[in-house]
Amino acid sequence: MTDLPANESDERFLEEPIIRVRNASKAFGAVKALRNVSLDVYAGEVIVIIGPSGSGKSTLLRCINRLETVNSGEIWVEDVQVNNPKCDINRVREEVGMVFQSFNLFPNLSVMGNLMLAQTVVRKRNRAEAEQIARRLLIKVGIPEKADVYPAKLSGGQQQRVAIARALAMNPKIMLFDEPTSALDPEMIKEVLDVMLDLAKEGMTMVVVTHEMGFARAAANRIIFMDQGEKIVETTPIELFENPQHDRLKQFLGKIL
Amino acid sequence: MAQMNPEIAAPKPFFDGRSLTRNIIQRRSWFIAFILIDIFVLYSIANNQELIEAWDYIVVGIGVTVQITILSFVISIIVGLIVALGRISKNIIIYNISTLYVELFRGLPLLVIILIFAFVVTPALVDLIAGTETLPGIPFLDNIIQNIVGIDPAVIETTTLRARDINPVVRIVFAFAVTYGAFMSEVFRAGIESIGRGQMEAARSLGMNYVEAMRHVILPQAIRNVLPALANNFILLLKDTSLASVVAVPEISHLTRQYASNRFRYPEGLLILSFIYANVTILMSLGVIYLEHKLQQDKHDD
Ligand SMILES: Nc1ncnc2c1ncn2[C@@H]1O[C@H](COP(=O)(O)OP(=O)(O)OP(=O)(O)O)[C@@H](O)[C@H]1O
Ligand SMILES: [Mg+2]
Repeated sequence: MTDLPANESDERFLEEPIIRVRNASKAFGAVKALRNVSLDVYAGEVIVIIGPSGSGKSTLLRCINRLETVNSGEIWVEDVQVNNPKCDINRVREEVGMVFQSFNLFPNLSVMGNLMLAQTVVRKRNRAEAEQIARRLLIKVGIPEKADVYPAKLSGGQQQRVAIARALAMNPKIMLFDEPTSALDPEMIKEVLDVMLDLAKEGMTMVVVTHEMGFARAAANRIIFMDQGEKIVETTPIELFENPQHDRLKQFLGKIL
Repeated sequence: MAQMNPEIAAPKPFFDGRSLTRNIIQRRSWFIAFILIDIFVLYSIANNQELIEAWDYIVVGIGVTVQITILSFVISIIVGLIVALGRISKNIIIYNISTLYVELFRGLPLLVIILIFAFVVTPALVDLIAGTETLPGIPFLDNIIQNIVGIDPAVIETTTLRARDINPVVRIVFAFAVTYGAFMSEVFRAGIESIGRGQMEAARSLGMNYVEAMRHVILPQAIRNVLPALANNFILLLKDTSLASVVAVPEISHLTRQYASNRFRYPEGLLILSFIYANVTILMSLGVIYLEHKLQQDKHDD
């Protein structure tokens, strides 16, 4: 890094965004899930996406690693155009971890098995190396003692932390979170958010759909408000909480805060 | 609250001998009855010269019955898996071909398929390989197959394959395999579809391709879910091998028919035959019940 003035928002424009969404639109039949959405995410940023149910937050996230394909527009992750059918999407997905609301751990594998599978199959690491990485990550997410337990025996919060560790085991450059705490009992939300905050502090690039405003305030560089498939507002946490600009945003914040 | 039924209020003991006995009587009497009948039949066989004779004649067919069952089962599992993947494929050509296969072979009676394989498909394939006046044949394949079926190596060069060189077991194994392959594919498909979409998405989002995700994530779960159904199909298949008797495969049903009609001893022959089938299938059913129980338990455990 060079000795630039300590103004982060200037610094980031010196580099290319790591994710570029350009005029992305997506429809499911008659439902327009995304309308002309554009978004740049720079390396090391934490973007929080909020918005009412059905506003297209999940769809936007899922288009980034092509679990859904956009109908028009472009999505780039680094120098790969994700929505180009000819791109090698599996190489992109290795670099983009995803955490789901419903955890989606593999129930037939132990915690270790969950953490090691993609490492050995996709990253072609040998078992010893994969195991070492897995154990280190279990310590990081705070449940090293659960290595040999099966997912059904874990609490929701523990499952979600395993899911985060599973994604991290691939050494992703970007992490996508789709409402990672919405399926959790209140007392477990914090343990998951703490792991996410740590990640943010370490400089992981994160795109997070969440309504945990405490997390947004603490970690987000920018907050995106979506409604009916549109990106309505893009702003900083301070702006958002102190001086929300848009009517629909004010309405929405009134409901969740 | 004061009038709470004491029976409900009393904590359930961990092990209750009375309720266990009651449970066995209520739920397992059929099995006890079966064992008693079994012992009675066994006793009769041991003490009756004609039944011993029938037993000796028929029991040699068990090997063939088991051979057909296991071979067909293994092939039908492979066929079933492949077709199941075809049935869930997004590729419309693959989807339609596999669906046609399933509908066709589920729609034809097994007996008809056996006759077709024995008397149409096998001779046609043999003609194709051995050649006819109008067909050139495939000489090198012809020689290989003659070798496999055990023709004297000295004459292989000068002879061609004939339909009757093909072992009848081989002819009908494919009939069973393709028919049961159609059934199995539906079992596998249901199993795969029972696994939530999130599993595939999680696997794919980790960078696995479709095949890797299927192999390491979806299929292990799906197959585990359908193990009891597969075992049931195994029992059905075992019983259906009796149909092989129509093309003179020397399995137990065929031997029974031979024995009974040669000596006009239908009751004896059929008693022995039923005894064999019932013992094998009922034991396997118990195995399936145990398997289901175990899988159910594991589900609660893990
Ligand atoms: N696979 C699908 N098939 C059909 N419609 C879909 C599908 N996925 C999403 N939709 C629709 O697209 C719209 C946007 O959905 P999306 O899941 O992106 O919303 P969301 O903002 O994540 O909502 P939530 O907060 O409820 O998760 C919704 O109207 C939804 O019903
Ligand atoms: Mg959503």
